[in-house]
Amino acid sequence: MPDRRCKRIFAMLSEYVDGDLPVKNCRELELHLKGCAPCIAYLESLKNTVEACRRYQVPKVRRPSKKVREALRSALR
Amino acid sequence: MNRQIEAALNTLKSGNPEEIERAIETLQGVVYGFGMKFCGSREDAEDTAQETLIRLARQLRDFPSARGLAVWLYKVAKTQCLMSRRKSKFAPAQMLSLDELMPKDSVLSAEGVKSWQFTPEQVVLNNELRSLLESAVLSLPKPYRMVLILRDMEQLDTREVANVMGISEETVKMRLHRARVYVRNALGGDFTKTWKGRRQPGGAKRRSLAAAEGEARHA
Repeated sequence: MPDRRCKRIFAMLSEYVDGDLPVKNCRELELHLKGCAPCIAYLESLKNTVEACRRYQVPKVRRPSKKVREALRSALR
Repeated sequence: MNRQIEAALNTLKSGNPEEIERAIETLQGVVYGFGMKFCGSREDAEDTAQETLIRLARQLRDFPSARGLAVWLYKVAKTQCLMSRRKSKFAPAQMLSLDELMPKDSVLSAEGVKSWQFTPEQVVLNNELRSLLESAVLSLPKPYRMVLILRDMEQLDTREVANVMGISEETVKMRLHRARVYVRNALGGDFTKTWKGRRQPGGAKRRSLAAAEGEARHA
């Protein structure tokens, strides 16, 4: 990412991925991406990072303790 | 936000006895999962789930909507995680600078990126990527880690994350971008072999929170 424009684009990438970037900035970013292979590649890898986070799951959990179940059941009575 | 949570909370609030057990297990899974992602320790995650759900029992009737209750649930879980006894192995205390996270003199090839793209059928991460992702997330400074987990893993929206964290939506966006870049660079270190001159996230220079956030406002 060699120049100042890349640096400016770099700061906008997450908002672009989330669809939160204002239209004016969106146009600027998309215009830049047409001629900047490293920024395109970085954007793709950032999207993949977000996708990896979304797909990440922790292993199955044990059943809730008796204490927790009783507290919730008692609250519902 | 995960619809499972709202559905489970609605079930508890409605008091349907046949579905209560399943709803409690769902909530236990959600809070335990959140605790594991943030603390990286099964004991801390179990403590977080237990304390949070017991507090939930006391609050169940005070919230008119399940969504409001879900945000409250994450607030309590967040506080429990921050109070956890076992500190993350790698967690640095300081903040991240976007300048330092930005790749320098890099050549990122399309082939390198393709090697970790996902197909629609690939629902579960492979073990290598999963392990790298866990290490990267746990090595994030806590304020960034919390935002990334809430937004990208728990899939709360920006406003909900701001509410849970007690910060502005702009600060959520700024922290989220830095956290994503940090994690991407950590994964890229292994997955994009042709990217030269990169710096490992752990070696990135860190600045004070005020300096880092001031920088974002002027970006």
